[in-house]
Order: sequence, then structure tokens, then C-alpha cells
Amino acid sequence: MKIGIYFCNCGSNIADKISSAAVIEAARSFPDQPFVNILDFICSEDGRLRFEESLKSEQPDRVVVAACSPRDHEATFRRCMTAAGMNPYLLQMVNIREQVAWVTEDPQVATDKAIRAIRGAVGRVRLQQPLERKQLEVCPDALVIGAGPAGMKAALSLAEAGRSVVLVERTPFIGGLPVRFEELFPALECAPCMLEPLMGDLLHGDCAGRIELMTMAELVEVTGFYGNFIAKIRQKPRQVSLHDCIGCGECAAACPATTMNGFNSSASERKAIDFAFAGVLPNAPFLLEGVCVRSKGEDCRACKDACPMGADVINLEEVETVVERRIGSIILATGAGLYDAAHVPGMGLGSLPDVYDALQFERMLSSTGPTSGEIMTANGSAPASVAIIHCVGSLDEDHNPYCSGICCQYAFKFNHLISAKLPDTIITHYHRELTVPGKEAHTLFQQAVQNTNTCLKRYERITDLAVSLADDGRLQVSAHGELEPADLVILCPAVIPAAGADSLSALLDVSRDSSGFFRELHGRLDAAQSTIKGVYLAGACQGPMDIQKAMLAGMASVGHTLAGLQPGRIIEIEPITAEVDETRCAGCRLCISVCPYHAITFDTEQNRSRVNAVLCHGCGTCVTACPAGAINGHHFTNAQIMAEIEGVLK
Amino acid sequence: MPEKPKLAIYWAASCGGCEIAVVNLHEKLLEVDAALDLMFCPCLLDTKKKDIEALPDGAIAVTLFNGALRTEENVEMARLLRRKSRILVAFGSCAKGGCIPALANFTTTDELLATLYRDNPSLDNPEALIPAGTTSMPEGDIHLPALLGRVLHLAQAVEVDYYVPGCPPESHQIWNVIETILSGDLPPKGSTIGCGTLTVCDDCDRTKEDKRITAFRRSYEFYPDPTACLLEQGLLCMGIATRSGCGAPCTKANMPCSGCYGAPDGVSDQGAAMVAALGSVMDIGDTAGLSEEAIAGRVDAFLAAVPDYAGLFYKYTLASSTLGGRVGSSKSTPLSPPLSGGKCSAPPLTRGGREGLTQVPDCNLSKQSGEIAE
Ligand SMILES: Cc1cc2nc3c(=O)[nH]c(=O)nc-3n(C[C@H](O)[C@H](O)[C@H](O)COP(=O)(O)OP(=O)(O)OC[C@H]3O[C@@H](n4cnc5c(N)ncnc54)[C@H](O)[C@@H]3O)c2cc1C
Ligand code: SF4
Repeated sequence: MKIGIYFCNCGSNIADKISSAAVIEAARSFPDQPFVNILDFICSEDGRLRFEESLKSEQPDRVVVAACSPRDHEATFRRCMTAAGMNPYLLQMVNIREQVAWVTEDPQVATDKAIRAIRGAVGRVRLQQPLERKQLEVCPDALVIGAGPAGMKAALSLAEAGRSVVLVERTPFIGGLPVRFEELFPALECAPCMLEPLMGDLLHGDCAGRIELMTMAELVEVTGFYGNFIAKIRQKPRQVSLHDCIGCGECAAACPATTMNGFNSSASERKAIDFAFAGVLPNAPFLLEGVCVRSKGEDCRACKDACPMGADVINLEEVETVVERRIGSIILATGAGLYDAAHVPGMGLGSLPDVYDALQFERMLSSTGPTSGEIMTANGSAPASVAIIHCVGSLDEDHNPYCSGICCQYAFKFNHLISAKLPDTIITHYHRELTVPGKEAHTLFQQAVQNTNTCLKRYERITDLAVSLADDGRLQVSAHGELEPADLVILCPAVIPAAGADSLSALLDVSRDSSGFFRELHGRLDAAQSTIKGVYLAGACQGPMDIQKAMLAGMASVGHTLAGLQPGRIIEIEPITAEVDETRCAGCRLCISVCPYHAITFDTEQNRSRVNAVLCHGCGTCVTACPAGAINGHHFTNAQIMAEIEGVLK
Repeated sequence: MPEKPKLAIYWAASCGGCEIAVVNLHEKLLEVDAALDLMFCPCLLDTKKKDIEALPDGAIAVTLFNGALRTEENVEMARLLRRKSRILVAFGSCAKGGCIPALANFTTTDELLATLYRDNPSLDNPEALIPAGTTSMPEGDIHLPALLGRVLHLAQAVEVDYYVPGCPPESHQIWNVIETILSGDLPPKGSTIGCGTLTVCDDCDRTKEDKRITAFRRSYEFYPDPTACLLEQGLLCMGIATRSGCGAPCTKANMPCSGCYGAPDGVSDQGAAMVAALGSVMDIGDTAGLSEEAIAGRVDAFLAAVPDYAGLFYKYTLASSTLGGRVGSSKSTPLSPPLSGGKCSAPPLTRGGREGLTQVPDCNLSKQSGEIAE
């Protein structure tokens, strides 16, 4: 076998420390006595040309390039191999610059080290095999998970750019958190009205045909990689056809079963078949299976009989299905939730009446909420005094160390809305810090400060505060021991990732930060990308943010998708993959769960595992895991690795 | 009538189980006897060593050699039988990989002898007598063969033609081996015969699912589900890293495979393969947000259920494994000329080959007091 060693001086970078003459001398005793060609800067235009010419005239069977790190120029030299008509995988690089010349003082030692490394590479390259790259056309379509502001913006913008989008939302409605609010900071816009045009376009606009909206749905499995994901989505039964329902509500009126409505903080009732709350989109009710009397064995069909649109709109037999979609990229827009303020002692949430967290209070403010927008205590009266406690579980090492960033702003929004409805009500803000950044937030803040019925009190630690019932049955807040009556207490708990972020992260292998939010590839440079290529982040799932930022983040994720996955683009698949030797696989199935890319499937008929070469990243995890030695890692076979080690240690 | 080809069955450091496995051929033994002349088998016949020495070289057609090499005498017999046999088979796990005798390679011979003859709680040996070497008695001298510094498997002392795995080899496989040899249609020299080509999982008919193990458990702790994969139930079943061919009698008896058929072809180290495999499917739960120490703590807690890694993973193959034995034991003496004064010393770690034999230390029987334990 003819082997060529191409030794790069890299100017003086390598030449100063490693004697090429000694390498030439040593190579005489290497297996197959390779020829040695000394070049300056093989990576330069001139160097590459000379390298290619030499490959063409010498026609070696295998090539070793002793130069810099393969991270720098392996791709360059592989291209030269291809240009010279050779298979690029017959090349082995030795990093004698970073790993030898730059880190070894004594030239004698450096030369010896380089000779050993090159001998290892020669041993290995003899066993290397030509490998072929597969080509695959990318799928330009996207999967968006979460139909809050960020997800809706992303889905609609992608559809406008001509892409097909699957939009998966786990609740029965779209709009995320803000559709449940009445008015929004900073400009006190009506929340459902502000979102309506976006939601309308999404459902019925010119591009709606390209958006496949799946409500009451969740992602259950993803295989594949950037440009070529296969997603499995579980569609729970709504029992109401979104296509045919006109949202008249006759079914709900006829339904005999009632329960408390979770979408109204369980502060009002709903029927087993009902809307999440008035005005939701898509404008269709959904059935709560466990509440429906049929689940208790009764043979009720009141809703079906009441439907004026015919017998096909309500399907009481509908069952859960799992559908599969091929997409090129995934946008995570799963948003946020609130920290359970019941974990913060002394706040009284859940144990005292008239203590609400901010989401519950947003529902009270909302004209579609349980009190139709009336601010009232449990006994139905208007509160004479309201306490708003900021930073509940935020900026607190015992709970969440970060500032949630938006609570101060909605707290002053609350101040405004309460004052507007109940001008005589005394409002006390208990705050630790105050966060009202940017060009707009100060307006509501100033209004609160100037409101003569408002008082701002700073506390040190949340343990300095306690909400309790006074002897007269009124609530009171003690701050540093000082007591203040309050008829209504509103808590502003930390913003935390939406429930289920952990399982999504496991499913997609996307990292999360110590607070559980999805981790950005880089907090400044690449804040719309996750740690997995082709999976983008948008909105409050990556950290607390307001609607403006969530919408912008949605657009940023769209930018990545559009720029990266143009229709017709071809991606090349690395041939460095694992392959199961079917004559050795005994079918123990140990490898299946080991693969981080879900590239291994089990063929139950043949009783053998099989690696999907398109999905395999060649990481080698299964190769080491296979106790039967039945999986080969192409380009990193045991024989190649042993030959390299032997060459080095000789 | 032409002479029948000669068959020898020899035992070195072994338990006798291999002979029993041969006897378990039952009536097939008659066929063996019809085809071969079983002329040497210390367990069954009275042939003496001098009778073998008297044979011309290559006179024996096949020797099934079982047992590991623990003493100088074992090595001597291995060399003698190699010379006299046309086919030498390392028969059973001791001859093939060292098996249980080779677990002694985790200690020095000094420690071994001290544990066996001096520090053992069930012993009454007030004079701390350690048997070794030559002892003079009124009736004359008694010679005990010296211990080797390390237990070897057969191929570390002599050239081996074929290997038959098993502790002991299953009788139906012994028959296959004999048939193969009689047929004359022999596989390439150095092959492992009398076994399958896959792993025990292929023999085992339990239902296998994708594996994620949330805790290791031991046989005494519960009755395993007789139909589900034992490993998936947390039992450390070695079947995944063990050569097939036995027919999986252990898992059929609801016991995990302990690995006696050794690694399948293509796997050089059964214990390492097992460790790599288990490490890949151990499920220590969600580690998001945990510190490195906390993660390490979870791994430790998980592994606390395995009391004896070496005995579990290298029970049958330590001598032939990459690991070989313990390195740098405080008591292992470096390679040095044979010591006098009754001390046994171990040659340094060897990996296969014959180096281990060149320095066979001399151990004299003497009254050894504190000397050994220094
Ligand atoms: C009490 C409160 C008041 C606020 N007031 C204002 C305000 O006045 N002005 C303002 O600008 N901002 C306000 N905000 C902030 C605002 O709510 C967020 O900026 C916004 O909701 C972020 O949008 P998003 O799309 O990222 O997430 P979300 O609105 O949380 O939407 C996420 C969507 O994803 C869905 N989802 C989650 N997990 C999954 C899953 N696994 N599969 C499928 N779907 C999933 C959810 O059901 C939800 O529909 C307020 C926040 C709170 C808590
Ligand atoms: S935004 Fe305001 S209330 Fe929320 S954590 Fe930060 S400082 Fe506290």
C-alpha cells in the first residue's frame, strides 16, 4: 500500500519545533514506508494546489497530513482529496501544531512526539476505508410548539413566507397567557382585541391554509435532525369538530354535568362540554371526559342532540390519535407559568380567602372571567384596601434567584385598573426591588407613585412579610411587624417555565438552564437558537419576558428557519456512522435506548437492531455500549483505534 | 484393527466439574470409546505421568486440558501434554480464561497463603504453618509444587489449538466438539469451538424490551418475573456479554447468567464490555440542575448495590482479560531472583504470553511468622 505523509511547516509554527528531516528519517521504518512531502502552509491557495498536484502524480492509496487541528482544516484537505480524485475518508490528519509544537518546549521532545503521532496515524490510515456521503433534500417546513404570542407570530410569519407549519398547542385555545388578560401594560390595550388580528389571520387569513393548527395536542417523539425531523404528535380528542362547529354553545346549555373551570382559576363553573371561557379562539367548546356523565356509564347524548349543525359535529366516540409529520426545524414557544406562591410561607395563598396570585387576579379583571371583571372579595363586596406583594419567590435564593422582570410592570397595571374601577381603594405595593426599564414602563409606575391612595413599601426579605386574618376577620399584612389591613392580597410570583418543559427538553435533548428555562446557544450572540441544531427558542420559554419581546423572539426564530432551510437545499450526510453487524447481534435491545438521536430501531422479525444511517451522528455511544461487539463505528473501528494506539506507543 | 486415536483428559487447577460434564455424555460415552482410546484421565484412570513421558511426541490425538495453571506442576504437565498431543484443547473456562482460580490474581501469593492458612477464622494453626516447597519428615522429604506468582490460563504457557468455553462446558457441546474433531473438518486453529456465535440473549427466550435500568437488584431480594429479561428487572445478568451455546440453562431457571462462556468473538474483554453496557443503560434519573457532586453521589448510590465488581464481571476471564489482575498491590514484590527463606513473590503483571513463567518463585515450607505480612 502506498502511503503519503504531507508535513506542513506552518511557517515557523511547526518547523521551529519539529524537525522534518527527522520525520523523513523515521518514516523509513513506518509500515509500508510512506513517502514524506514537506510543504509550507498546505492550507494556503498555493499549498492546496501543490498538495493536489502531488496527490495526482503520486497517486497514494492513503494520505496522512501532519499539520494543524482537524477542526481547522480537515474539511479543507478532504476537499483537496476529492479534487484529486481520491475518496476524502482515506485521509488522516495529525495535529502536530496545537498538540505538539505549541505545547512542547524542547524541540527534541517535540520531534519525538510528532513522530509517534504520525506513526499512529500511518497505522490507522492503512485500515481506513473509502466512505460515501449521502445527500438529502431538506424539508423547509416547521413545527411550532405553543400558540402563545411568540408561537403564533412565528407560525404566521413562516406561513406568510410560504412555508408549511404545524402549530401544536396543548390547551384547547390559542393566544397563550395574554388572551386571559383584560388590559396590557404598558399602553393598557385590550389584550384579546390586540391579539385578535393575529389570531384571526392564523385561523382564517390568506396563509391559514399553510398552518395546520392542532389544539389539545402534544409532541411525544422526535427523531432526525436539522432539515429532516420526524415528529410524532399526540392529538387528544376534543369530541367537537373544529371544522364544523359554529360556536353557538347550544351543547353547553344542554349538558347536565358541571365542574369548576380551571381556565377561570376554578372560580366559576363550566359544563362538561363548554368553552374554556367566553371569546376563546378557535371558537369551539371541548369535552372534559372525566366530567361527562358518559364516563360514569350513563348513556347521555344531550349535547349531540342539541347541536343545530347536525350529528357529525360532536363525536362522542372520538379517541386519542398519534400523527407523524416531517419538518425541517422546530420552534419551541411553550411560554411560562407562575411559581406556586403556596411554596412561600406566610403568603396565605390557598389557605386564606381573598389571596390571589397574579394570574388569578388577571382573570378577575377580565370581562370574560369569573366575576365578569368586577373586583370583589369572597363575600362580594368591593375591597377598601388592596395589598400587592411583588417579588414573591423571585430574587430569592430560597426560591428563584432571578428577577422575573415583568411583575413590577403588571403590578402597576393592576394599580391603574383597580384605581380606575375603585378610586377610593387604598393600594399598598410591598416590593423588594422595582424593575420598570425601557422607554414605556415608567408611565404606569409614575401614575402609581402619584396616586394619593397608593403607598409603596420596601421590604428586605419575604420572611419579613406575613399575610394573616385579623380578629375582625379582615386580612392584614404585617411588614417588619407593622400591621396594615388589606381586603384583597395580590401576589406577584416568579415567572417560571411552563409545566412540561422538562419532558420536552428530554425529548428533544435541548438543555435547560439552572432555572429550568431552555438554554440559549449563546445568551447574546445566538439567543434564538437552542443547544440542538434546528431547534429554536421563542418567548417566555427561554426566560421571563413581556409580549413585545416574545413577539420579537418569535420573529428571530423565523429568521433562522428561513435563512437556513431554503426549499431544494441539499444537505450531505456524514458517512461516519455506526452499523450493526447482523451476524453478531443477538437482539438484546440494549443499544436502542442508548442512542441520543433515536437512530436505532429494533426489527422484531429478524430479532436484530438496525441503525438508521441518516439519523446516526456517528457519536459511537452504541459502539461502546454493545456488549456483543456487534456494532461497528465506521471510520472509528476498534482495529483502527488499536492500530493508532499501537503506532503511538511503539 | 488399526489403533484408535488416543484421547487424554487432564485437570490442572480445577474443580472436577469438567470431568463430570464429560461423564454427563451418558451413553454417548460408548460412542466416544468406540472412536477414541481414552488413555489418560487422572480422575478416572490410573495412567501415570511417566507413561505419558514414555510416549513418542505427538502420540496423543487430542488432549482436553481443563483447569488453570496455579502451580509449577500444572505448567510442567501443560508442557508435557502439549509435546505429546497433536491437538491441545483448552477445555472449560479455567483453561480458557483462568476462571475462579484466577481471581487470586487480585492478591499476591503471600496474601493468598496468609488468608488461607493463617488468618482464616475457621483455622486452628497456632504455629502459622504455610505449606510450601520441601518439608523434611521422619519418613522422608515431602515435595509440594511451588505456586506461580500469578494464575495463568493455558495459552499463557503453551500453544493452544482450540478453546472450549464453559464452567463446565455443556455436555451437548462437548459432544459437538468430539464430533468436530472426529470429522477431521476442523475450523482455523485458535478458534473457540463447542459454542454459538452470538450471545446468551440469543439462547434466552425471555421477552426483551428497550433497556433503562433504574436500580440494580440481587437475586435474594425478589422473585424475578420468569418471562421478562432479567437485566431489565435489575439483575446483573451477564448474558448480554457472554457467548451463546449453553442454551441459557441459568436464565431458564430464573437465575441471571454469570457469564461462564466468556466473551463472544470480537469482544476482547468480557468485564469491560459489561461495564460499558451497564454504564450506558443505568438510569440515575433527571440530573438537570444537579451539581457534579450530586450526580456523582447518585451514581455511587446506584453502584452500591454491586458488592464485588471483579468477582461479578471477571469471574471467568480475569487471567485472559486486559485487566489481568491487580497492579501495584502493596505486597507484590517486583521481579527479582527467586527468594529464599520461604517467601513467595509474584512476578509482575503479565498480559498473556509466557513471561509469567520465566520467574517461578520457589516457596519453601517453613515456619513463617510475621514475615509474610510485612
Ligand atoms: C400575570 C401576568 C400578567 C402579564 N401582563 C402582561 C402585560 O400586561 N403586558 C405584557 O406585555 N406582558 C404581560 N405578561 C407577560 C406575557 O404573558 C408574556 O410575555 C407572554 O405570555 C409570552 O408569550 P409566549 O408565547 O412566550 O408564552 P405563553 O403566552 O405562555 O404561551 C405559551 C403557549 O404554549 C402552550 N404550551 C406550553 N407547553 C406546551 C407544550 N408542551 N405543548 C404544546 N403547547 C404548549 C401554552 O398552552 C401556551 O398557549 C404578563 C404575564 C403574567 C404572568
Ligand atoms: S420584576 Fe419586580 S417584582 Fe418581579 S422579580 Fe423583578 S423586581 Fe421583583
